[in-house]
Amino acid sequence: MYRRTAKDFALDGLIYVVLVMMGLITLLPFVNVFSKSISEEWAILAGQVGIFPVGFQLDTMKFVVTNSQFLNSLWISVLITVIGTLASLLITALTAYPLSKRELPGMGIVIVLFIFTMMFNGGIIPNYLLIRELGLINNLGSLIYPALISVFNLLVIKSYFESLPTSLEESAKLEGANNFTILFRIILPLSGPVLATIGLFYAVQFWNDYFHPMLYINSSSLKPLQLYLQDIVMNADTSSALDKSADDLMNVPAEGVRSATVIASTIPILLVYPFLQKYFIKGVLIGSVKG
Amino acid sequence: MQKAYKLMSVMAMSALLVTTMAACAGNNGKNNEGSGNGTNGGTEATAKPDAEKPGLKRLNVWQNDDYNAYPVAKLLEEKTGYKVQYDMLPQDKWAEKLNLIMSSGEAYDIVTSYSDMALYSDYAQKGALVDLTPLIEEFGPNIKAAIKPESMEALKVNGKLYAIPTTVTYEINSSILIRTDWLDKLGLSMPTTTDELTNVLKQFKEQDPGGNGDRNVPLTIKGDQSMIDNLVGAFGIANTWNDVDGKLVSRVMDPAYKDYVAYVGSLYEQGLIDREFVANKDATAKEKFASGVAGAIVVHWADIPAISDSLTKTKPEAKFAFIPALKGPNGEAGFAANAGFDRLTYVPKASNNPEEAIKWINASLETETFKNMAIGVEGTHYNVVDGAYEPIQPIFTDERNLANNYMAGTDEENYPQYWQARVRKNPVMFEAFSFLNNETAAEAKIKNVLGLAPYMQQYSKTNQQLGTMVGDYTVKLIAGAESIEGLADFQSKFMSSGGEAVSKEINDWYATTK
Repeated sequence: MYRRTAKDFALDGLIYVVLVMMGLITLLPFVNVFSKSISEEWAILAGQVGIFPVGFQLDTMKFVVTNSQFLNSLWISVLITVIGTLASLLITALTAYPLSKRELPGMGIVIVLFIFTMMFNGGIIPNYLLIRELGLINNLGSLIYPALISVFNLLVIKSYFESLPTSLEESAKLEGANNFTILFRIILPLSGPVLATIGLFYAVQFWNDYFHPMLYINSSSLKPLQLYLQDIVMNADTSSALDKSADDLMNVPAEGVRSATVIASTIPILLVYPFLQKYFIKGVLIGSVKG
Repeated sequence: MQKAYKLMSVMAMSALLVTTMAACAGNNGKNNEGSGNGTNGGTEATAKPDAEKPGLKRLNVWQNDDYNAYPVAKLLEEKTGYKVQYDMLPQDKWAEKLNLIMSSGEAYDIVTSYSDMALYSDYAQKGALVDLTPLIEEFGPNIKAAIKPESMEALKVNGKLYAIPTTVTYEINSSILIRTDWLDKLGLSMPTTTDELTNVLKQFKEQDPGGNGDRNVPLTIKGDQSMIDNLVGAFGIANTWNDVDGKLVSRVMDPAYKDYVAYVGSLYEQGLIDREFVANKDATAKEKFASGVAGAIVVHWADIPAISDSLTKTKPEAKFAFIPALKGPNGEAGFAANAGFDRLTYVPKASNNPEEAIKWINASLETETFKNMAIGVEGTHYNVVDGAYEPIQPIFTDERNLANNYMAGTDEENYPQYWQARVRKNPVMFEAFSFLNNETAAEAKIKNVLGLAPYMQQYSKTNQQLGTMVGDYTVKLIAGAESIEGLADFQSKFMSSGGEAVSKEINDWYATTK
């Protein structure tokens, strides 16, 4: 058996130190924001809040999470994420299944067409015009319908389907099952890992989407959390007196309120991560080995 | 990557604006049947078409509260009889979003945005706005009474009025805020001239009255604050464009510019201005003052409550006050005085009820309704003390703090008085505000003549860009990264980058005002 030498230990130690430092670099800004969210405003302004809160209080946090707009935005985000993810999974799986049947005539061309949309698309203006003409401006559908199929996820599911033994389907057919029964009763139950992974991909994508709601949503009652967050956080950087009147300056949300909003809107998705992280890692491997 | 994406989206939106605006202009008037309605079938359903007073849709600037739930919305609904549904623009990049909404033909009846003349005149010229002149004539007696004719005049584009302004309510923004307890400690009096200021800052540096050691900063400013309010006035260049022998001249072309830069540059060289000012953000500068490290800072009076709270916690003995208009070497002194508009309110062509929109605005400007909207009810929201409106807290803040966002035009005669109730919410802030605005002599308020100037294409388009260019250059001069010898080169660069065109345009106009 290989015995670890002093050199190995030194090297390991070095690696640990470097990794811990890298970890701290990403963690500390977050800790700082968290501390600000539970500190007194005067201490934040005087630059006294670093890693630990100064003048501990929870009023700011309470103020933020009881804000009706915050709650409404949170609800909209949850709604989009849950409905969007479920619908995307269904539609993507329904599309991937026939595409995994190479023996069907013309499938090669259809796949090429899908892949084509991965590389080229109309761009922002045509997309905006399309959404507008579909009457989806100010409609949550505008955030869900266009994102139903991501070709990348489609290909991952397709290659997973292809890896399932064909004899399973043949035996089911012999028993008299039709294509839908095969898909829903045999293929999908066997595809748990890939569906979980892709579901997570979709969920994160829907949750983090900021750009599309910015374009398509005007009504404040339909704003998802990311848009709400952007409004609060950007406030500080634009607080020059140039295009702002004193009234706006007097009403700029305090730094503490901004920090608390950032924390409060990060926590929901943060809570989901530990439970789904293993699928994330699995997901990277799915489809990487063609068998 | 992110930046490229942003840039792309901005470009895309403006391109979209151009194309669809052109379409709007093409079929002037009733284009509601086409693109307008397709986009918002939903709103059509909520607006009762045949009711006597239809529901109105209003788009407004961002605020950190739900427009529809704020008490002022309810008040206005009661007083005007109209149910208004409010939406708001984002805080960041509001202009791009507004472009998108205007070009998509969404049927807003009233749109209020920050006063961006370039944007406004663009909409007006492309036919995206309703001409308000006949509507005000017919339905707007209160509007005519409330808004001064010169305000209306300044907003006319090709002789037609497309917007109702909300005029700025006070003149002076900022000055140098100084620690008076430091002054007292050193036996110094409040500086009145630039030389005295130099001396005071020197004493701050040498004697370190705050006991800050190496961290001691006599005067801190932000990185983009190369034109220091109050000091620019002392050198006769209070505004971006100043009258020199009857002509408007940009600061950088002004003969006094050299003197100003030499003075501020020498302050920096002696270590009297924050050594790190180039890297200072707004928050960094405030942090230095609020933690007691800096003896003076340049701030807007509206920033004072936060700074004051923080400073009294960290340094309980601290006292501060604004420095009055300092006299320069040639005896000049003064502050740039605001003139012009804060918000503009207009009616897009896509509106389904332009007449009702004007009727609503008219109703909101009815004297008593407007007063109630601005400061509430006497005895409930405010008291009259010595002829001034004192807010009653916390109800004033809870129910009227955001009232200004609901205004579409103001009672220009009375509003500045009502408005001061908002400043009185915080006595420390009011004192500072009052010192700058009520106690500064009229001749030290140097009015920005361009504030009420009519729309000028070159000026609207390039002035901000030129301002940034001059600002950056001035920072380099002050910090010693550029030498004043190169001024002539920079001046010719300034002129060729649009300075010449702007100068000609505004002076052609300026000549007509005399």
